[in-house]
Amino acid sequence: MTLVFSNLRKQYGANVAINDVSTAFEAGMIHGVIGPNGAGKSTLINMTAGSYTVSAGSISLDGRRLDGMKKYEIANAGIARTYQNIRLFDQMTAIENLEVCAYPSEVNHTWREVFWPPYGRARAKARRESCMEILQFFGLERYADVEAGSLPYGRQRMLEIARALAMKPRVLLLDEPAAGLNHHETAELTAKLAELRSPDRIILVVEHDMDLVMTLCDRIVVMHHGKLLFQGSPSEVQASSDVQLAYLGTDNDIDDIRAAAQDRRAQLGIRARQRS
Amino acid sequence: MSSAITSPSAKTQALRLTAFLVLTAMVALIVATPFLPNYYIRVANSLLIYILLGIGLNIVIGYAGLLDLGFVAFYAVGAYTYALLASPQLDLHLPFLVIVCIAAFLGMITGVLLGIPVLKLRGDYLAIVTLGFGEIIRIVINNVDWLTGGPKGIARLDKASILGVDLARPVEIYWLLLVTVLGVGLFVWRLERSILGKAWAAIREDQDAARGIGINTTTAKLAAFATSATIGSIAGTIFAASQRFVSPESFSLQESVLIVLMIVIGGIGNILGIAAGAAILILLPEMLRELAEWRILFLGILMVVLIIVRPAGIVPRSFGPEKLIRGLFGK
Amino acid sequence: MLGTLIQQTVNALTIGSIYALIALGYTMVYGVLRMINFAHGEMFMLGAYAAFFGLTLVVGEIGSAGAFALTLAFFGAVVAIGFFGVGVERLAYKPLRNSTRLAPMLSSLGVSLTLVTGIQILAGPQPMMFPSFFPTTRYDFMGGTITSVQIGILVAAFLLMFALYTLVNRSRMGIIVRAVSESRPTAQLLGINVNLAISAVFFSGPLLGAAGGILYASYYGIMSPTMGAVIGLKAFTAAILGGIGSIPGAMLGAYILAFVEVGGTALLPVVTNGVLGTEYRDVLSFVILILVLLVKPAGLLGEPVSEESMVYKREF
Repeated sequence: MTLVFSNLRKQYGANVAINDVSTAFEAGMIHGVIGPNGAGKSTLINMTAGSYTVSAGSISLDGRRLDGMKKYEIANAGIARTYQNIRLFDQMTAIENLEVCAYPSEVNHTWREVFWPPYGRARAKARRESCMEILQFFGLERYADVEAGSLPYGRQRMLEIARALAMKPRVLLLDEPAAGLNHHETAELTAKLAELRSPDRIILVVEHDMDLVMTLCDRIVVMHHGKLLFQGSPSEVQASSDVQLAYLGTDNDIDDIRAAAQDRRAQLGIRARQRS
Repeated sequence: MSSAITSPSAKTQALRLTAFLVLTAMVALIVATPFLPNYYIRVANSLLIYILLGIGLNIVIGYAGLLDLGFVAFYAVGAYTYALLASPQLDLHLPFLVIVCIAAFLGMITGVLLGIPVLKLRGDYLAIVTLGFGEIIRIVINNVDWLTGGPKGIARLDKASILGVDLARPVEIYWLLLVTVLGVGLFVWRLERSILGKAWAAIREDQDAARGIGINTTTAKLAAFATSATIGSIAGTIFAASQRFVSPESFSLQESVLIVLMIVIGGIGNILGIAAGAAILILLPEMLRELAEWRILFLGILMVVLIIVRPAGIVPRSFGPEKLIRGLFGK
Repeated sequence: MLGTLIQQTVNALTIGSIYALIALGYTMVYGVLRMINFAHGEMFMLGAYAAFFGLTLVVGEIGSAGAFALTLAFFGAVVAIGFFGVGVERLAYKPLRNSTRLAPMLSSLGVSLTLVTGIQILAGPQPMMFPSFFPTTRYDFMGGTITSVQIGILVAAFLLMFALYTLVNRSRMGIIVRAVSESRPTAQLLGINVNLAISAVFFSGPLLGAAGGILYASYYGIMSPTMGAVIGLKAFTAAILGGIGSIPGAMLGAYILAFVEVGGTALLPVVTNGVLGTEYRDVLSFVILILVLLVKPAGLLGEPVSEESMVYKREF
């Protein structure tokens, strides 16, 4: 299973947010997307999930084009996401937030559920049990019947991921899951996410917390000014002078960064030679 | 902060007592009404019609979170269906139950037809467009004289009868309405707890996130619109059969607004709340009849005060039929 | 033919100006509070009654009132209604500011009911004659007839709208109001006096609405307790058509609506060969509104809401 971006582009008027990005995300791995603010990381997630339209290029999952599909169709194709600003169903209980994810597969039996009480009870029980398992995984079972909007912030973040999982997704898109969490909660989150790694699931994490990304991700994609600057393993990313320069905060384009990095390497190279 | 101090068992006790009192009062009222003079039964009938309308509109407003200000259009569809199919107007005299089925179907179709263009709109835009549709239907009824009798309306409607039993006296209409309200109420309550009901709640809470979890919000909203329209249309049929006269006056914008108010003042999203809201807005003006226009002034002020004191309604969303039953049988 | 055209254009501009004055109140309140103020039409009605009774109280007989007394009554009434609007907001909407969006709207329905019944009790439910605030002279202009009342309405409305436009765009208060309209939480964080901005809006909105009411009653020579409901609905439609929350949108919507109405009244029976009479002009207005919203869901000049920037997850 592969999620493929090819020549992806997003443009608002004259402003290019994503410029010719091509890459692929394999199943069984956790992929990190990093980059300075405004690099276009969240735009990638929003385009994949269908919240934004694609200006040019394509997104496909196992050869099936996702761009151009409606948002709910993308979700039903197996793409689940979380949001940068938590977007739970506040006045529904925690478990209802998960149960409602069964809608696409069960809506056709609504009338049976309504008119045949035993069937309705059986469905409700089955839904609750399967959702309770997910809540238990995240340690949220004691909040099952609490309104989502009244949960503490950290629990809400967890619940949002739980909701995404309740969709039984093939692709899980996490938009800054650790934003606003304290150290303890981030560590807990990292551990949980690591357990979600599965051969039939693609996980994509956009995150600012470098510790989390470096410990969790198997492969990292670095974005800068809407372009793909670098991709590789965490250690490769850490070693890359391109990435370092981008994070050190130049306002220049990728080519300039590459040129600057070339210069720096050249200087280092000279120094190294001198030392030896 | 007394709830923090009282023990859980005391809380269940209190809940059980409340549930018991509420249920007893409801059953007593229902059983006592048929023995009252006709005037009171008529008031009860009008109350039940409004509860039925409230249950219907609540699906759209309370469950799916869409502000529909043109609900009365569906009520008019049902009423005029009966008026045209059971009166000398077109010289048609179909049986009551057949007309109810036709009206329900027509209501559903109207709901879907009105729903398709408006459901893409957000919040306030949806409100004004539904309001516009309500007005359009009223203006059309008012002006298609050859069919609807125009502002004069249609009179001399047939008596309703089911399987040879006449339903014309207030008491008979009362039983018909009671059975309908209970049946529809049960149906809607189960619908709210079904997966479709949960999807409506998700749409109400955050429509974009609802799309994000795979809900086709357009069809789910259409389902809400259609169900609500069907109920509104059925209520219209019974209304026409009980008045045996229809005219456009009964389907003004104020009527739509009154039903919205009932829902919000009573407790949005809660069938028990609707009954409470209807009771306040229908019975109070009735009780204060002698005060003429002062009662309307009083009602206006009361509306403001009630909303300020209890913005979420008299009966909270959580205190639904489910809680009542659980409280009583202690589950 | 040209005469009729000019005549109808002036008629449409006159009605449009009155709609615009009222629509501005809807749109400004929506801007700061995201609330549909159903009681706003009543401010329009109250304006006419306040001017009428204010003048009767002072002069005794309106027919004898001089230009000075009329001007004074006009400004006295609109300012009084402005303050009344602020008072209503404090009493009926402010306590609901952090509640659901539906609550203040329904509270405004209660206010509307109270005001209409109040006036019915005080002044009687029947329509009353309203003497024009302008001398009535007719001018013939290229075959059409224009009355001095129409000219007065156009001038007054343009001046008021220009004043509002200048205030909103040039004054400090205008900046505050615009900041609160953009984002109330952010404005609050920046230490902007949000209450002041809301009061300013609830002062100027009813003020303009009341002015519209006096002009309208002058134009038709009649006022009634229920006039606010009918015209209020039209002005609200205009505000939505233009994109609610947008001040230029409200004006644009009002004039478009007025032209559709005047044009519809004149043309509907002709175009449909008598099948659809002038009664259908309101249907035509709503149909135009629906068609515009289908193409531009946020109205003509409204800003479309993007998903990720939604301030409100719940719509009500």
